[in-house]
Amino acid sequence: MFFFKLFIWFNLRQVQHHRWRALAVVLGIALGAAVFTGVRISVHASLGAFTRSMDAITGRADLVVTQPGGRVPEDLVARLRRLPGVTDVSPVMTTYTRPAEGGRPFLLVGIDPLLDRHLRDWNRVDPGDEEADWERLVAEPFTLLAGETLAAQAGWTTDARVVLSHRQGDTPFTVAGRITMDGLGKAANGRMAVCDIATFQEFTGTSGYVDRIDIRLADPGTDPGPELTRLMGNGLRLGSPGALKQSGQGMIRAYQVNLSFLSFTSLFVGMFLVYSLVALNAASRRHELAILRAVGASARSVYWLFIGEGALYGLAGWLVALPLGSFLVRYLLEGISSTISTLFVRVHVDRLALAPWEILISLGLTVAVAMLAAVQPAREAAGVPPREVMTTTRHQQGGRSDIRRLALGGLGCILLVLPLAHLPGVNGVPLPGYLASLLLFTGFALLAPWMLQQVGRRLQPLTARRAGGPAHLAAGYVRDSLARLAIAVGALITAVALFTALVVMVRSFRHTVEIWVAQTISGDLFVTTRMAETNRVWEPLPPEVVAYLAQHNEVALVPNRRFSLSHDGHPYQLEAMDFAAFQEFGHFFWLQGDDELIPRLIRGEGVLISEVFAHRNGMAAGDLFRTQLQGRTLTWKVLGVVRDYRTHGGVVFCSLDDLAARMDGLAWGGVRIFFRDRDRELDAAVARLRDDLVLRFGDRLDMMRGQALRAAVLRIFDETFAITTVLLIIALLVAALGIATILTMRVLERARELNTIYALGGSRGQIRRMILWEALYIVTVGEFLGLLCGFGLSYLLVFVINRQSFGWTFLYGVDWAALALSLPLIVATALLAALPAMRLAVKTSPAALLREFGN
Amino acid sequence: MNHEAMTDTIIFARDLTRIYPLGVNEVVGLNQVDLMIAAGEFVVLKGASGSGKSTLLSLVAGLDAATRGQLQVAGRDLLRMTESQKTAFRRDVVGMIFQSFNLLPTLSVQENVCLPALLAGVPLADATRRADRLLDWLGMSARRGHRPAQLSGGEMQRTAIARALISQPPLILADEPTGNLDSKNGDMVIERLRDLNREQGHTVVIATHSDQADPFATRFIHLRDGAIQSDQGPC
Repeated sequence: MFFFKLFIWFNLRQVQHHRWRALAVVLGIALGAAVFTGVRISVHASLGAFTRSMDAITGRADLVVTQPGGRVPEDLVARLRRLPGVTDVSPVMTTYTRPAEGGRPFLLVGIDPLLDRHLRDWNRVDPGDEEADWERLVAEPFTLLAGETLAAQAGWTTDARVVLSHRQGDTPFTVAGRITMDGLGKAANGRMAVCDIATFQEFTGTSGYVDRIDIRLADPGTDPGPELTRLMGNGLRLGSPGALKQSGQGMIRAYQVNLSFLSFTSLFVGMFLVYSLVALNAASRRHELAILRAVGASARSVYWLFIGEGALYGLAGWLVALPLGSFLVRYLLEGISSTISTLFVRVHVDRLALAPWEILISLGLTVAVAMLAAVQPAREAAGVPPREVMTTTRHQQGGRSDIRRLALGGLGCILLVLPLAHLPGVNGVPLPGYLASLLLFTGFALLAPWMLQQVGRRLQPLTARRAGGPAHLAAGYVRDSLARLAIAVGALITAVALFTALVVMVRSFRHTVEIWVAQTISGDLFVTTRMAETNRVWEPLPPEVVAYLAQHNEVALVPNRRFSLSHDGHPYQLEAMDFAAFQEFGHFFWLQGDDELIPRLIRGEGVLISEVFAHRNGMAAGDLFRTQLQGRTLTWKVLGVVRDYRTHGGVVFCSLDDLAARMDGLAWGGVRIFFRDRDRELDAAVARLRDDLVLRFGDRLDMMRGQALRAAVLRIFDETFAITTVLLIIALLVAALGIATILTMRVLERARELNTIYALGGSRGQIRRMILWEALYIVTVGEFLGLLCGFGLSYLLVFVINRQSFGWTFLYGVDWAALALSLPLIVATALLAALPAMRLAVKTSPAALLREFGN
Repeated sequence: MNHEAMTDTIIFARDLTRIYPLGVNEVVGLNQVDLMIAAGEFVVLKGASGSGKSTLLSLVAGLDAATRGQLQVAGRDLLRMTESQKTAFRRDVVGMIFQSFNLLPTLSVQENVCLPALLAGVPLADATRRADRLLDWLGMSARRGHRPAQLSGGEMQRTAIARALISQPPLILADEPTGNLDSKNGDMVIERLRDLNREQGHTVVIATHSDQADPFATRFIHLRDGAIQSDQGPC
């Protein structure tokens, strides 16, 4: 108990006395904590929305029957119902559709209302005759019950007539009622509708088939029995309804770890601030510490007093971070949920849920980080011998050997980076990559004092000749104040490194994607069935469309068919394509192999796999690839590996003709159209063909101009990196705050020395210039080491972290123009951060400062 | 030395040596000092700057460790003590008064005085009561809520005396206690130390250049170059 009293007396009052320094540090750590908390809460909200939606659709099912790459025959429902031990069986179909008049897509769920009632709950918004609603769905075709969010957003009321768009074309529906946000109504966060399964099949043209069949067992713990397994012939798969949920959750959690790491960098930079202030307090109060020890305080008490001070900054920073974070999260939520929808699984997040666990994690981490930053100053404080109470001389910390030892430690950390980075990730999370990044930051930060010493030593004679007294004195101060200044440099190194690495990574990624888009997503017009892209299901194109296009002389066609499958739990697409037609107009972006493999691919001798697929499944050229498709087992040799940056997992490319032969026929799912005459006015020709297809086949097709598709891919790319940019800016802000704080502290520490210079005839201008030169040295060393560290970090991001997180790597490229433009801006920002210190340096009366105090 | 003599002895030193390493050289702070001070003595240590007065006090106070020799204070062997035992020793056995007062600037007068007792585990209410009594005795009651920066030199030193006494230590060590005070305040501080010695039986050892304490000394020890030059009773 007395410890807290002593803490208040000794530490808290000091903090109060120097409240502006403390506030700057608290603000720095608050920014880091706010970003970290905001990111975690946003991803948590997306994860929660995804889980709720999956749970709502899964209901109380114990088992689920699916057909990889296809659909389940509806007649299986009756056979399953007859099995002993099976209490309920319900077919389910889901698709995304949209109002024909436009607007965002929503989830349409098709169920058998009678069979489904024991598996899923739902309630009407307006209390009434529930049975009547069920009956109306069954009795009256093309009726639906709208989820609460959808009804509110689209303005749908009971008995309203709405027209929905799908691959069969536009179809009118009647709204039979609205359902509340619970049970099934929570699917897609209420942006959903339910209809009878027969209506669904007619609407989507899938009569006789369902997406899946949910089964409820009398005793969920028991083996379903051989009879149930026997019914699973013809490639049907019996699995857990949670598998899809777990796979999606796994991907979102891995993304959460990635963003947490990036946002942790701001907190890491904040650590330097805490370290600097606690170290300053410990050093400037060295004599007080000796007094404390002399009157009976133990070394351990002193140690914990300073650890407590670190914790205090952490706690205060976290408290300030709460309102900051709640402001930030509004921006982050939309960006993060849309990135998750783009990259992994579709999520609908309209609201933020209170996440006590996330708040606790952020509290724990912020306080822990701040306490960790205080460890070394606390050790130094605890090591102050009580005999110093008898002396009045100041003790210089950090001898030459310490600096050399730190530099060697730093080099050791840097040397460890490469071997560590090559260790495999853990469950899709690149932990070794992150650890290697932290080692890299730490290594360069430890090099900073030695580097500053060298700069100070080598520049002092030079600056004395060229830039006069202030620069000379500043170089001397830099050389003699390594321990303290190194902290500012460490903060700057971290921020500049992060900046450089992200500039390099984004540039490399974008440049690679641009090449990929130009080479691989070639084509003038892309045609699929309506909503195919939204639903990620490529249903066969209507035969009349294929027949019409095939007789079109002006165009060349590259048909394809895509199946969404999974391999060892990792989702991927099997894309059957006409390699012969493709090679006329496009190219693969090869990693293993080259265009000479195309003839073998055409002959069906093997497949190409994407880099993502190769990394996720540990496969390479020469391996065998085996999959199940619509009840058939297919095996190919992997001939090559190509770069591919489409989202939602990897890709396996096989020959369309070969797959058609193996599957006894295969309809086209989509087609890329190329105009043979490349000299003509392409935009007009594409527009004419598009109008022609709309005229002939109405609204059953989705068509996108090649140029627009390529632009859309790059736009998605840019949006994905918007979050990264925010995190980067905040890290830089914290670093600037660090420089401002540390330079100000240096001025306060040296107030008497500076005023002695003033008393000896130095002008205020000269003293200001001296501080500016000091800042310039710090910034130069910080930028130089930060750049080196940044290039190292960019290697880790491009070749380790991205590969382990997403499965892809990029062509390494440096955007020298962006770096050349941005780095001077950082220098300017850092020098601006020196302004408060420059003002403060000559603010107090020299006479007052030079006065000798009794204590 | 017989057992009876040892029980009355509060400070016993033999061959006490303190050598400070200074780069490749060494500085001898104290050189083979033999010393015995009985409980209840009022000892004045004299000597020029650098003669070893403060070094001797540091060693006796458990603030520093001897390079070699023997040192027992209040029956405790300081050379064999662990760091935590030394911390407890400083709390319980010794009260230190310094030339530069060494008050903690963030603490009030009352808090500064209470600090050693609180560190020793005395409840706050008891420590405050003791502190108030001492501050009354030293004429500092009106200043108990003030911070050191708001006090005069004499007031700071009186506060330091109160702090040295709060744990009722048998031994008071004062290092140039009047060095930063005018003669009036200096006399007052010495009178208080005399009272402590005569009325309450505390052993007082003062290291000083001044002669303010001379009239009350029961013994003078002169140090020179780290060694005892003379050890005698009052002149």
